[in-house]
Amino acid sequence: MSRQTRAFVKGVKVSERHGAGEWTAERLSSLILVPLTLWGLWSGWTMSGAGYDGALAWFRSPVNAVLLAVTLLVSVWHMWMGLKVIVDDYIHRPSSRTTLLTAIGLLCVLLAAASVFFIVRLALGSAPLPAGLGA
Amino acid sequence: MSISPLPGDASNDPPEDQTGRFVRQPNGRVRPLSPHLQIWRWHVTMLASILNRMTGGALSVGAVLVALWLLALAFGPDAYATFTGWMGSPLGLLVWFGLTVALCLHLTGGVRHLIWDAGRGLSPKAADALSWASMVGGVLLAIVFWVWLFTSGRIAL
Repeated sequence: MSRQTRAFVKGVKVSERHGAGEWTAERLSSLILVPLTLWGLWSGWTMSGAGYDGALAWFRSPVNAVLLAVTLLVSVWHMWMGLKVIVDDYIHRPSSRTTLLTAIGLLCVLLAAASVFFIVRLALGSAPLPAGLGA
Repeated sequence: MSISPLPGDASNDPPEDQTGRFVRQPNGRVRPLSPHLQIWRWHVTMLASILNRMTGGALSVGAVLVALWLLALAFGPDAYATFTGWMGSPLGLLVWFGLTVALCLHLTGGVRHLIWDAGRGLSPKAADALSWASMVGGVLLAIVFWVWLFTSGRIAL
């Protein structure tokens, strides 16, 4: 029996493994990021020249904190998929590709975790780091 | 229906590399290498597509800078003053202007791709028009953003 299954939707052949899922994920993240990017531009404009107190005040609004966390998480997801496609396209040696993809994956996890950690602290009004660590 | 051989069937492959341009594909078959960039006449759709990939790569650097901004803010007023000192310098502002252009181009380019993915605007004429519109629109959006930043007095050189 063939390892591959053949599926057709409306007479069009769909991917046999996970390609369709990746395609959908790329489009879904793009679609979510269109309004969030516009909001991000507006927020960046607000934050420019606002200073430390202005930025802290901005983070006290739960709407801002949640929207920023969602924007950054979806952006990192989108970025991970985009960088993976670039590496898949241009890096042909399997060992180099694995190394690069691992490094990109680690960077993305670090970016997502650090961003959420800082946003949560800023939203809760925690004392500045590192003194506030554990407080 | 198809007359092409199954993947992995090398019976139709050329016996030797006649042009020096043949490569072994991941499925083990020998096929000519696709013509590379310098072979093609430039199309605006090519330029727009390449720009979308380049701006996406540049925005990865932007994501790191945004994380650094959050870090500086979380480390208190002194760290934040150091950060804004760097980012508010002429070089820092230039970097952020570049990132704004990249973000706006990637945004309009992304919308263009979503339109194409929906199956619209795919005639050569419409595709060219969409490519031009997304590139001009992206750069204009970034310029308006920065003109507005300076004229409102939020930042100054």
